[in-house]
Amino acid sequence: MTFQQFAYHNVIRNSRIYAAFFMASIFSVMVFFVYSMLMFHPNIEDQFLRDVAFGGMLVAQVILIVFTMFFLFYSMSAFLQARLHEFGVLLNLGMERQQLNRLIFLETMILGFISITIGIFFGFSFSKFFFMIIRELFLLDSLPLYLSWKPFALTIIVFLSQFIIISISSVVFIRKKEVVQLIKGDGKFSEVATYKKGNAFLGLGLLVVAYSLVIFSVFHMNIFMSLLIIFMAIIGTYFFYTDSMLYILDIIRRKERLYWHSFRLIAFAEASIKIRENARMFFVVTIVSTIAFLSVGVVTSFTSFTAQYRELNPVSIFYASDWDNPFEEADIMKLSQELQREGLSYELVKFNVKKQTSSNSHEPVNVIKESEVNSLAVALKIPLIDLNQGEALLVSSTQVNFDNIRSGMEQTVLEESSIPIQIKGMYKHPIFPSFVIKNRAFIISDEDFSLLTEPLFGFGVEESKTTFFAFHVSDWLRTKDVGTDLDKIMTETMGISEVNPNPFYFVNPGLNFSVIRATFALLLFTGLLVAAVLLLAAGSFVYFKLYTDLDRDKKQYDVLRRMGVTDQELVKIVNRQLVPQFFLPWGLAMVHSTFSFIFLQAFWVDLAAVSIAMEMLIVLIVFTVIQVSYFFLIRWRYIAHIQE
Amino acid sequence: MSILILEEVTKVYEGKVAHLAINQLSFEVEKGEFIAVMGPSGSGKTTLLNIISTIDRPTSGDITISGLKPAQLPKNDLSLFRRRELGFVFQDFNLLPALTVEENMVLPLTLDGRSIEVMKAKVQHIAEHLNLTSILQKRPSEISGGQAQRTAIGRALIHEPSIILADEPTGNLDSKAAKDVLEILSQVNKESKTTIMMVTHDPIAASYCDRVLFIKDGEYFNEIYKGDLRQTFFQRILNVLSLLGGGGVNDLSTIRLS
Repeated sequence: MTFQQFAYHNVIRNSRIYAAFFMASIFSVMVFFVYSMLMFHPNIEDQFLRDVAFGGMLVAQVILIVFTMFFLFYSMSAFLQARLHEFGVLLNLGMERQQLNRLIFLETMILGFISITIGIFFGFSFSKFFFMIIRELFLLDSLPLYLSWKPFALTIIVFLSQFIIISISSVVFIRKKEVVQLIKGDGKFSEVATYKKGNAFLGLGLLVVAYSLVIFSVFHMNIFMSLLIIFMAIIGTYFFYTDSMLYILDIIRRKERLYWHSFRLIAFAEASIKIRENARMFFVVTIVSTIAFLSVGVVTSFTSFTAQYRELNPVSIFYASDWDNPFEEADIMKLSQELQREGLSYELVKFNVKKQTSSNSHEPVNVIKESEVNSLAVALKIPLIDLNQGEALLVSSTQVNFDNIRSGMEQTVLEESSIPIQIKGMYKHPIFPSFVIKNRAFIISDEDFSLLTEPLFGFGVEESKTTFFAFHVSDWLRTKDVGTDLDKIMTETMGISEVNPNPFYFVNPGLNFSVIRATFALLLFTGLLVAAVLLLAAGSFVYFKLYTDLDRDKKQYDVLRRMGVTDQELVKIVNRQLVPQFFLPWGLAMVHSTFSFIFLQAFWVDLAAVSIAMEMLIVLIVFTVIQVSYFFLIRWRYIAHIQE
Repeated sequence: MSILILEEVTKVYEGKVAHLAINQLSFEVEKGEFIAVMGPSGSGKTTLLNIISTIDRPTSGDITISGLKPAQLPKNDLSLFRRRELGFVFQDFNLLPALTVEENMVLPLTLDGRSIEVMKAKVQHIAEHLNLTSILQKRPSEISGGQAQRTAIGRALIHEPSIILADEPTGNLDSKAAKDVLEILSQVNKESKTTIMMVTHDPIAASYCDRVLFIKDGEYFNEIYKGDLRQTFFQRILNVLSLLGGGGVNDLSTIRLS
């Protein structure tokens, strides 16, 4: 047996210990590789998309690298800790320190090599599938699988250097110890869980303040406060695990009536030791899971955003033109041509809008003809309206106006042409962008409309006219290449101000939506995959910890069994020990993300009237189910091990 | 009256290499007796203790502990039986590191769901008896080996079991602490008539007992009773042990004769 074979056998024959580790690191390599494939894709022509893809993937990869680094380091040191005795024996048998270092280095590199190879293999196999999803999300015509050395090189270099760094640093970890110490094993169980009372209160206090600020911010939105909240929540979480939890447990342990009760004695005492030992890990898992929950939650909410966005913007392309707009004809021609070029069928409805003064408000209002509204309604498949002479429907950019009308302002006169109208109600479908409606507009019957002959006070006949062009495209998601130059003019001249210096107004919800959609879709993929990696890794952390403590726990359960603990009671004790390890970080992450969602919800309302409560609930439920099944899986293995 | 009766107990470990750990071993332990079981390594002492502890079942033969046959009890009742009737003392103490000395001692009572008042009173009583009152709030990592073993004895005594099983209780202690522990055991045995069965390698430890049972390769070898003096009893134990050394002693004598 050569030295290399020895190292190889050490890894392969311990594959059961390394199983969870392998799974997590292979998955991480795989996700990294898939991201790289997209990052270097040669066929993405769209500049915007390329920027988004490159930038998004880069951020995701950096997160992955940092996290994988942490994960590898943590698990390697846990493995080495568990094998200290073995190393002691090897040194005792006369192995040189140099050789031991080489052994550890070799073993780590074998682990790394296997993970990278399998990870890249699976990554490449799933690339096509990944591209198919991306193609659907970004509405690309094709996104073929390609072969290039770049993603391979990037993945191999990044992970190989990670494994090299890890193996070198883990060698340092062993070097400091004497042979006797190694043979005795670690044995350094901190039996007394110490904590600082000040930190305990600080941790709880910070969390409470952070949560209250979230509730407060629902009423008074403030972006700067969010940074403060995040900062306080992170610090609070850290102290919560290192001190507050121990403080709470200590209070319980002082109450003998509560504490001296069948298995609580063992369960609470063990819990405080495990929490003290794993405080940092719990902290990382909590923060990581919160981020994972959040990214998935935000992205899930996007599905409902799509539906609601369509409802809020039923007209695919809208062009409003002032009477003196010199570009009108050219623009409409161009839009029609572009739609034809894209192979999209459309219906164009033209609205001749007249301006009149309403006797109620003494302000100019837009007056729209019933038959024109109906021809758009036919295209949109929404109910038609039927107005008699003298009747009108109100089109409003806001909901509140209608209540005022109900209370006694139902009669008005269009002053210039002296047409009395009665406001029957409100037109409920938002077919006109709120910008062109300004304050309010009326839909009146064709008969009344033809009587509107007089221009607006102080203006000529032509000057009091506006024209709306509404393009209805049933395949509205594909209109992103239509009217891009008009959109550019709009964004450049209007910016964020509410004043429109152009003689026209143009809006293409399909284009806007594709921007939002692309960004979100990327978030979805980054979020989902990173979340999956993180969840797997968080689970395998717990698994390592259990595995390294297994000998100690086994002995303890053996004593308990001799003392007359039945098998059912043993399972109960195991439950009480495992449940906090699994569900404490997860529970806190849940609470964190619930509050974050509340915060986001408050933020979201400002962006668009979209509720994400339902999606949030679904995400939380799915994560709960995953976590619970993971818990049962690990518990099953753990109980099988301790009953050996 | 016998509190523990073994009749023709045999234990065979199945496996790739079948191993006969205990072979047709029979003996009885009287109520209130302090008995030591001695034998060389591999003689089946630990197996014997495990079988009496009811965590291992004999391949054949009968065991009766205070009138009950544990082999006939279902698994669950067996646990309850251990909880109430047996007390354990181990070589490496096996105190639960997370619990204080006091909590370690009340553990068997909490498992049995006794009231706080009863537990408090019993701990107080036993702690005074074992001289542990001053360290009740300490953790196992903060006390000496002797104190740890006394705590373990306290834990074994607190539920007043009918028999205490001690596995090399002095194996990890220095001579002073070992003497301390042995004196406490024999005191407990005399004062509260608790039956104690101790497995040991140490002839000094064995000399504190009323009777020493020797086994070799899983079979009954010899037994000797304590006379009046501990010194002479110790000498007799040593004699049997050298005889137990087996082949070696005989080899030596043949060489001498020739």
